[in-house]
Amino acid sequence: MERPRIAGSVAVGWFLLTLAMIVYATRLALVVAPTDALQGNVFRIFFYHVPHSMLSLVWPYVNLVASAGFLFWRRRDPLKALTADAVAVASAEVTLVYASICLATGMLWGRVEWGIWWTWDARLTSMLVLWLLYVSYLILRQLSSVGQTQTLAAVLSIFAGIDVPIVYMSIRWWRTQHPAPVFMSGDPDAGVDKSYYPAWEANILAWAMWGLLLIAMRYALERRRQQREQDAALKAIEDSLEFTR
Amino acid sequence: MKLSWMFGPTMEQRHLLYVYVLVWVVQGGYAAWVAWQWWRTRPQDQ
Repeated sequence: MERPRIAGSVAVGWFLLTLAMIVYATRLALVVAPTDALQGNVFRIFFYHVPHSMLSLVWPYVNLVASAGFLFWRRRDPLKALTADAVAVASAEVTLVYASICLATGMLWGRVEWGIWWTWDARLTSMLVLWLLYVSYLILRQLSSVGQTQTLAAVLSIFAGIDVPIVYMSIRWWRTQHPAPVFMSGDPDAGVDKSYYPAWEANILAWAMWGLLLIAMRYALERRRQQREQDAALKAIEDSLEFTR
Repeated sequence: MKLSWMFGPTMEQRHLLYVYVLVWVVQGGYAAWVAWQWWRTRPQDQ
């Protein structure tokens, strides 16, 4: 009884800290950071768009590692495999949330700056493919009834893991309409003014903390569902044994 | 600096507002949905 109580206190503390961090980061983005000389205030969309885009390329690797763990343990240690599967489904849903926000906020910025909602350039298309892979991952988990759902989903997550470096490198490999890389570009002339750093760093940290909180919450929910399914299966066996006596 | 500049009729102002509202609604909505599902998925022995 003691462990769930400690976990609950940690979760509430983390939630409050994250919420305070998001409010602080949003204030830096909207109030403190100077207006961009070229784009004006619409540039402030990037303070939410970029962290969500970066993190939507991080969470798939949580999903990939958890899926690999599931494939490794599914015959050796089914209890560990169930834990890994709960992490996999949690990180897949959070990836979809972040990737959806990345695409939607990018389109809202593109309509203002480019005059169009969408263009089939390498970055946007590869990101859309990643989004579709996770939509299909979650539909597969929801609708498949063959008893191999978790294994099929784990294999699908490998394809998503392959798409992630393509999304990341697309603006380096190809000339795209999407802006060139700003962070870790290798170009000494690229980058943003130092006055923007606090807003970037705070928003990346805040949305990373939030993503970790969501994964932990969704993991706890999945573990509860697994526990309930196991309880129901045990009860059905007990009932059938009583029926045959 | 006040935030009143965000609430205006131009496309820049509207889209900037949409982005910030959208992110809070989607992230908050998803967190609320997970919390709600966790709350109503109680173990059978309780």
